[in-house]
Amino acid sequence: MAAFNVLLSGCGRFLRGLLTGPTVTNWARPPARAFREVVEIQEGKTTIIEGRITGTPKESPNPPNPSGQCPICRWNLKHRYSYEDVLLLSQFIRPHGGMLPRRITGLCQEEHRKIEECVKMAHRAGLLPNHRPKLPEGFVPKTRPRLNRYLTRWSPRSVKPIYNKGHRWNKVRMAVGSPLLKDNISYTGRPMVLYH
Amino acid sequence: MVKFKIKPASLQWATFARVWYLLDGKMQPPGKLAALASVRLQGLHKPVYHQLSDCGDHVVIMNTRHIAFSGNKWEQKVYSSHTGYPGGFKQVTAAQLHRKDPVAIVKLAIYGMLPKNLHRRTLMQRLHLFPDEDIPEDILKNLTEELPQPRKVPRRLDEYTQDEIEAFPRVWSPLALWPGWFVKTCFSRINSMPKGYRR
Repeated sequence: MAAFNVLLSGCGRFLRGLLTGPTVTNWARPPARAFREVVEIQEGKTTIIEGRITGTPKESPNPPNPSGQCPICRWNLKHRYSYEDVLLLSQFIRPHGGMLPRRITGLCQEEHRKIEECVKMAHRAGLLPNHRPKLPEGFVPKTRPRLNRYLTRWSPRSVKPIYNKGHRWNKVRMAVGSPLLKDNISYTGRPMVLYH
Repeated sequence: MVKFKIKPASLQWATFARVWYLLDGKMQPPGKLAALASVRLQGLHKPVYHQLSDCGDHVVIMNTRHIAFSGNKWEQKVYSSHTGYPGGFKQVTAAQLHRKDPVAIVKLAIYGMLPKNLHRRTLMQRLHLFPDEDIPEDILKNLTEELPQPRKVPRRLDEYTQDEIEAFPRVWSPLALWPGWFVKTCFSRINSMPKGYRR
């Protein structure tokens, strides 16, 4: 979604132009809001860089709960998704794996945080292989044998080994999953264990 | 119902024969693999179990190199050992141990789950661990049943077909907030400016 960045920066420039100029402006009509793809055409000595409007993805019709404020409430997904639901999570990420801002997607604060945490866990589990960060040109990374993991709360590089596990009444537990997803409904009937 | 005064040898053989099970450890947590394996090795899955009747089975675990730990256990879990000599206390993380020996984590997990008696060593001899898919021919010939994997492996995004991706509804649309959002932020900025700026 490179067109997205173009779109957002265009909006920012428009706002700044609006506020730094005279406050009472009579704009005939605001620019058309849509996804654009940047097309560069060379005609002899002139180069035309044009943003052509492409199809904008729309929300699917008939959500089960139209009165909901955020997409999760509208589609009755509250407390029902996890790091494995990649089809849902991939709708809220950029091509290189970053999250989209909340004011664009329309999520409420707590759901945005939950989705962000699930996206992080999905990346660490290797469930989003095509959303990796862009590497500089001509850079070939060394393929080290990757360890398989899932439900990783912390970044692997930031965690220290537990050399002293503690006594039976005071053990240092290892964190699994995320406390933000504590209220998820469990279909197996077993409670979710957050510390192993 | 069949009634026998003396049990025939064939029925005795069928009840107490040692069975070979196969378990695939790809993307599985080693603790759950070890729980299944220790139950089968002791013979606790049989109604004719008795501690002295030596009714355990063989278990072959393959792909131990591709096990998956939940959480940050690869970095946090520490395996300690002492050589017996002074200054011989060694502590290695799970990741380091796995790099050195891809079989050790599952082996230690099963060893810890078996009963702590003299049978444990014989049961460990009936356990066969292989880091990858290549298993020797004579063991392959003995295998009778493959056990189902304990953990359901989630599908990656590129493993979904295009039809499934299209069938999944799009949950939000980018321009649903416009123009209300634009008007709200625009006016809030204008209202927050100092009075002399506004005409």
